[in-house]
Amino acid sequence: MPDEIRRLLALAFVFAPLSLLSIGGGASLLAEIEHQSVTVNAWTTQREFADLFAISRAAPGPGTMLSTLIGWKVAGLAGALTATVALYLPSSLLVYGAARLWGRWRGSVWHTAVERGLAPIAAGLILAGGIAVLRVSPGGAAVWIAAIASTALILRWPGLHPLLLFMIGGALFGLAEATGMW
Amino acid sequence: MTSFGGGTAGWLHREIVERRGWIDDAQFLSGAALGRMVPGSGGVNLTVQVGQRLRGVPGALVAVFGLLLGPFVIVVALATALTRINQSSALHAVFDGVAAAAIGLTFATGLKLVRFRAAAAGPLAVTFVTALCVGVLRWPMIPVVFCLAPVSIGLALVTRYGRNA
Repeated sequence: MPDEIRRLLALAFVFAPLSLLSIGGGASLLAEIEHQSVTVNAWTTQREFADLFAISRAAPGPGTMLSTLIGWKVAGLAGALTATVALYLPSSLLVYGAARLWGRWRGSVWHTAVERGLAPIAAGLILAGGIAVLRVSPGGAAVWIAAIASTALILRWPGLHPLLLFMIGGALFGLAEATGMW
Repeated sequence: MTSFGGGTAGWLHREIVERRGWIDDAQFLSGAALGRMVPGSGGVNLTVQVGQRLRGVPGALVAVFGLLLGPFVIVVALATALTRINQSSALHAVFDGVAAAAIGLTFATGLKLVRFRAAAAGPLAVTFVTALCVGVLRWPMIPVVFCLAPVSIGLALVTRYGRNA
């Protein structure tokens, strides 16, 4: 039992600080979540991480449900709950407080500077997240090519539904594997 | 719960503003902007504010719980089912394909932010250094953000004053 509690505490200590650093949304945390769960804590193998990432993106809800899945992998239902609460509670408390100050800050020099200053960091973190998942993905060169191709597709046609793209990607790779194309 | 692929804001707008009229457009937009600026998922942050405006602390709690419960159940059920079938190479290949498309979505999101927000050399450099340190060199994210955030915010302050002067 203490072992399980230790695992839950480890989850909370990893995800709660990240909650307050997820500027620009959950996608900015991807690289750090990968680093923590594969390298630092050995919660998942690279293969498992790639699978959980795929599941979390194909399912409904915020992209950060990935943390829920890692928690589930580490310590079952209690782990899934711990990781989810740890990731959402701190940032929710912050926004609850900030909502009261928002009106007062609006338009001030500092407010604009913080907003404009954090945006490029958020963009960099999101790109880093894509790189991090690519690096652990065991699918090899085909995954890199498909990832670049789908990046180009989405930038070219922004209205393209992500789920459609996920299904095409999954079907193509499944088919290629089943027919022994590589 | 139906927010596949992360389109939470659009869906929230339809349900909360258009269909139920709980808050108006201006309140929604200001809430969405704040939700994006502070840490956390934009959709969850927006939901906290809507709940707060309607019913205070219990409203915020119920709203977030409602938003996350569906995805939580689905994602855990899906993962349980899939790991039980598991370990066939075809299933892994399907996961790889979905992951590749999802990585593409991630890159596209990052690149769109770069295009709209960071056309100047300074912010572009910040984006590049962040992606390099965290993504390529595998440095831990927390110290990187703590070092770069003051630089980037300072840069935004300086360029702002430069333009005003």
